[in-house]
Amino acid sequence: MFISQTLSSPEAFSKALFEKMKTIQPAIADLEPYEFRYCLNNITPEGGWASIQPLPQAGIEQMVNSRAFYDSIQIKPKVDDHIVLDKQIVWLAHMLFVGLVTGDYPEAWVEQHFYFDIRSFFFLHRTTYFTDEVLAHFGGRPYRQFEQKQKAFEYYQGVGYKAFAEANAELDALFIDSVKKIIAAIGIPVLLAIAGPTAAGKTEIVERLNRSFEQDGCKTTSIELDNFFTDRDYREARGIDSKGKEAMHFDLLMQSLEDITHGKALSTPRYNFIDGSSSHDLSGKLKPGRIPVEVQPADIIFMEGNFPFLIEEILHLIGIKVVYLTDDAVRLKRKWKRDMDYRKKYEENYFRNRYFKEQFIMAEFAYRPQMAVCDMTVDTTGAALWVTPEIAEILERG
Amino acid sequence: MAGTSRLRSPVEFSGILFERMAPINLAVRKMALYEFCYAVEGLYPEDGWDSVQLDAQEEIERTIRQRKYYNDIHTKPREKDRIVLDASITRLTRMLFVGLVQGEYSQDWVNRLFYFDLRGFYFLPRTVYFTEAGLAHFGGEPFRTFAPRQDQFEHVQDIGYLDFREANREIDQAFIEMIQNLIEARGTPILITLAGPTAAGKTEITEQLLEAFDKMGKTTTTIEMDNFLLDRDFRDNKPMGKETTHFGLFKQCLAEILQGKKITIPRYDSLSASSSHDLDGNLKPGCRPLEVEPADIIFLEGNFPFQMDEIAGLIGIKVVYLTDDPIRLKRKWKRDIDYRKSYDPAHFRNRFFKTQFQRAEDVYRPQIEKCDIVVDTTGAAIWVTPEIRASLA
Repeated sequence: MFISQTLSSPEAFSKALFEKMKTIQPAIADLEPYEFRYCLNNITPEGGWASIQPLPQAGIEQMVNSRAFYDSIQIKPKVDDHIVLDKQIVWLAHMLFVGLVTGDYPEAWVEQHFYFDIRSFFFLHRTTYFTDEVLAHFGGRPYRQFEQKQKAFEYYQGVGYKAFAEANAELDALFIDSVKKIIAAIGIPVLLAIAGPTAAGKTEIVERLNRSFEQDGCKTTSIELDNFFTDRDYREARGIDSKGKEAMHFDLLMQSLEDITHGKALSTPRYNFIDGSSSHDLSGKLKPGRIPVEVQPADIIFMEGNFPFLIEEILHLIGIKVVYLTDDAVRLKRKWKRDMDYRKKYEENYFRNRYFKEQFIMAEFAYRPQMAVCDMTVDTTGAALWVTPEIAEILERG
Repeated sequence: MAGTSRLRSPVEFSGILFERMAPINLAVRKMALYEFCYAVEGLYPEDGWDSVQLDAQEEIERTIRQRKYYNDIHTKPREKDRIVLDASITRLTRMLFVGLVQGEYSQDWVNRLFYFDLRGFYFLPRTVYFTEAGLAHFGGEPFRTFAPRQDQFEHVQDIGYLDFREANREIDQAFIEMIQNLIEARGTPILITLAGPTAAGKTEITEQLLEAFDKMGKTTTTIEMDNFLLDRDFRDNKPMGKETTHFGLFKQCLAEILQGKKITIPRYDSLSASSSHDLDGNLKPGCRPLEVEPADIIFLEGNFPFQMDEIAGLIGIKVVYLTDDPIRLKRKWKRDIDYRKSYDPAHFRNRFFKTQFQRAEDVYRPQIEKCDIVVDTTGAAIWVTPEIRASLA
């Protein structure tokens, strides 16, 4: 059949694309051809596949690597009162589908730059986390690497906690062991902060670390950075970004971190996410009738929050700075299960648009910069532990 | 570890519930407690679990057997701008959760009356498909039974079509051979109907049958009942039946195709909800009818055909293809929500809860009591009437 005929017949197009997609995303083979067709019907262009004009490869690469592209993605575009997929996300999927079927885009090129999420039924750009700067920070190679057991997830549509924990077992064990060696070397009390993108597995690893410390007879506690937010109204009125120190009771935070690392008990602000209010006023005083968070002294203090290493002033107070990383494709599969199937948290198109947009923006804004200043990065998908030369030395000694 | 928990619902409650739910839904064991807690969160009552008043067991049993309970379910109730779970569905699951945790309701009792869908995270009443009358119609026992391979699906949340097909391989094969034998015995042309609830596997088994007939050298064709529907404006929301279809035309077409004639039938356009034919059965100007070539085996597709007694005599083999509600629901999550994205998930949950009961009462139980063969894929049994049993002997 000629290409033009394939493009003008939805059935022939679906059939041809199905074959191509099986090589790019192995889990596609779990779909009946008619199920694939159902999925495709949802994003078939109004003017048919023949109406799509794919950009040259270089044009696509340029587009998906530019911040402006992601900034322009709308997370809640509406048609007839329904949230729909952002137009550009759909356009990108259209181009890649057509380019694959016509052969204009080689499969290897598509695979190099994009991954395909079945539940979302669109392509997402592969984000680079290990830039030259990050690699240099860790001396160019991982401290240790294991078999990449998360490869099995390529065949899954959703990834549950248990399967995830099993795949990471070796790396997590080495990580926990390494953290203990560092603590033995630098002493307690110690502030331990683990940053990482959404659904990378932070909560689970913190829980396991915590259990392990408790088994060793160590006392642990946690400080949530979010509790140091100032009132939302105040921040919004002044257009303060919720990620920097301007958004926080910064003096209180500094003081709290100083105190807790010197074995003192704390009384910290408490932030209420539901009404967006802090227990403390702007001068750092407890508001009448509000209850602060009491934190008892402990040997190991977990610092919870997404961007602890972006606040330069507190970096020196954090004893162990960890970035816990899981690849975008796997995180998305975890989020489908956790946030959509279990928590039923979001409208689906909003969820899809937002993930597509934020994956790039967050890597640029938060994770690459944090990787460049942290002590260790745990890359669960790459099954590798990366540490700075200083940490490597401690680990070798220990 | 100190620090504030992000979960509103008390972890103790979820922990006990997690233990109690594991024997009720075997797939719960595959979840981590944390995941389970996230899911429980969504049902946490505003005033805490203590605020949930439990109904007596007899009261619950009485309620879930009443048609009214299902009629009153709202499929699209809204809170702010989101569709939410119907209040009485939510109440039922909350009561069962609390009753299980407090030991008021035994696991056996819950399990006997309800099944728990993990993805929807709610309880649904178990529907009875085989009534006394249905059992009597088939002489009280199945014609053939097989190893119940769908039991494995109790341990999983998702059912892919490959696994489903594989689990049904034996029973499907036996069914196909049976149909082939019946056709040999009865001769062609012959009309076959295959009814069954949504996601029971009708499309898949029909495809396999078509392939088998093709190998026998028989020609096949399909008539979709829906094409005989009147314009929606004339149907007044009534279910499909004599008054809502071009019934005279329908009967005539079936009779003619059974005589080996090519037929011309109305075409129903679901987008505009209109028929190509007017109420007198004449083609409307500018409309095109459908042409159906004669064939040895004619499939009549659609869910209501053999309730219409006047055409029952024309249908050579009447089959009901059944799959249990929990399995169908798992299949639908994948097909209708994950792939087709046809509904809002809360709307989907409400609708399945409501229609599972209504459809069984309106459609499937009556059909089972009138059909020739029931293929129960989950029970792994084929049921046939004494007449069919005799012609297969």
